Amino acid sequence: MISLALMEVAERRTPERAYRVAGAPALRIVVLDVGLACCALEVGAAITAGLLVPDVAGPGVPKGIDATVLLISGTVTDALAPGVLRAWDAIDGARHAVSFGACANTGGPYWDAPTVTKGIDQLLPVTVYVPGCPPRPEALIAGLLRLVDETATA
Amino acid sequence: MIPDEAHGVIGLQPSACTSCMICVRECPTWCIELESHTEEVSEPGARRPKTINVLDAFRIDFGLCMYCGICVDLCPFDALAWSPGFDHAASSAGGLVHGINELVNWWPATNPSPAD
Amino acid sequence: MIRVDAAEWRSTIAGFHGSGCTLFGFLTGVDRGDSVEIIGRVAHPESIEAHLISTTIPAGGTLPSLNDLYLGASWHERETGEMFGITFAGLTDARPLLRRAQQGSPPLLKSSVLVARVVREWPGAAEASDDGRRGGNPSRRRQRPAGVPEGFMQDEADGRSAIGGT
Ligand code: SF4
Ligand code: SF4
Repeated sequence: MISLALMEVAERRTPERAYRVAGAPALRIVVLDVGLACCALEVGAAITAGLLVPDVAGPGVPKGIDATVLLISGTVTDALAPGVLRAWDAIDGARHAVSFGACANTGGPYWDAPTVTKGIDQLLPVTVYVPGCPPRPEALIAGLLRLVDETATA
Repeated sequence: MIPDEAHGVIGLQPSACTSCMICVRECPTWCIELESHTEEVSEPGARRPKTINVLDAFRIDFGLCMYCGICVDLCPFDALAWSPGFDHAASSAGGLVHGINELVNWWPATNPSPAD
Repeated sequence: MIRVDAAEWRSTIAGFHGSGCTLFGFLTGVDRGDSVEIIGRVAHPESIEAHLISTTIPAGGTLPSLNDLYLGASWHERETGEMFGITFAGLTDARPLLRRAQQGSPPLLKSSVLVARVVREWPGAAEASDDGRRGGNPSRRRQRPAGVPEGFMQDEADGRSAIGGT
């Protein structure tokens, strides 16, 4: 059931789900937040604080890297891993994975749990890792700006 | 917007650290690594030289760190402190591991050095 | 807390259900060594009446399911069964939630060794004097990290298969 929900998220690439990063207006990204635990609240906080601004697609709106960012915020268990992979596979075009928080980075507080995936980079290529437990909303923005730098030099 | 006391990142004051290993052993995620060696120092007036620990390396893996603050709370010498920095994303998991050079830079300005 | 024999577990809770405690709070287990204690809580939806009921079954034992009385008990029984290695007879869906095949013994039993703690080197094992001056205090015992039983530390386990299956 959970992996179905992830699929739904991955397929709903409507303009309302695109964001611009405050302070970097040229950057337009579609963030698919795979919010699996407490870290997801910080992503919500970034949006309500205006750090991530919903993009109004239309003429005159600058286009940036125009990539889909799969933002994995929370604990990925081995049971849930196939669902995350399916969300990743459902993205067409340019895509980047951002690992947000200790659980997604390495397993974090659950590093010794037999059921938790020890970092989502075991499943898919991660472009940017954001440390924190949870990271603050500002750290998400810093991570996304880092993503722009990474992709610009790549 | 971000308060000075925010738990953004952990700073280290190497001159205050005695390499006692308490933080390393109490860290729930085993994300602190410390290397040290001992040296004998003779102090003027002292009868025998005393043995001290010399810190060689101190690394925190912020990919694993669960920001619990146990290390900061338990350090008997106040050599660790929270700092509000948040811009520490990396392009590899290994890039989240930081050693003395970075940790000393994160020693918070609001926290006077215990050595002072 | 009301402690009952395993034989009275279901009838006791069914009694509370019958008298209006139709709200299922939670159910979980506690590893007591040779046995597993199961604790459940049911409550009245419109009053402050609530009951905490406990029973004890042998490790790996069986208890009748409550999921026909309380639908909400299914999730808790499924999880408790998986995590403590016990069976709830009559539970309609007992598929494991988190564990996958070959993932070792039930994780919430104290006897379950967390493999990650054994295979990873504990940074706390190092001593400040690990620079060749080791032996300065021969009586000092090697430190052992929490959660790693004797005989399981990497150097202790050298040359024998301390971890099941490896
Ligand atoms: S904050 Fe907690 S997890 Fe992080 S280094 Fe300190 S003790 Fe370890
Ligand atoms: S607890 Fe403090 S003094 Fe001891 S090793 Fe850690 S940082 Fe150094």
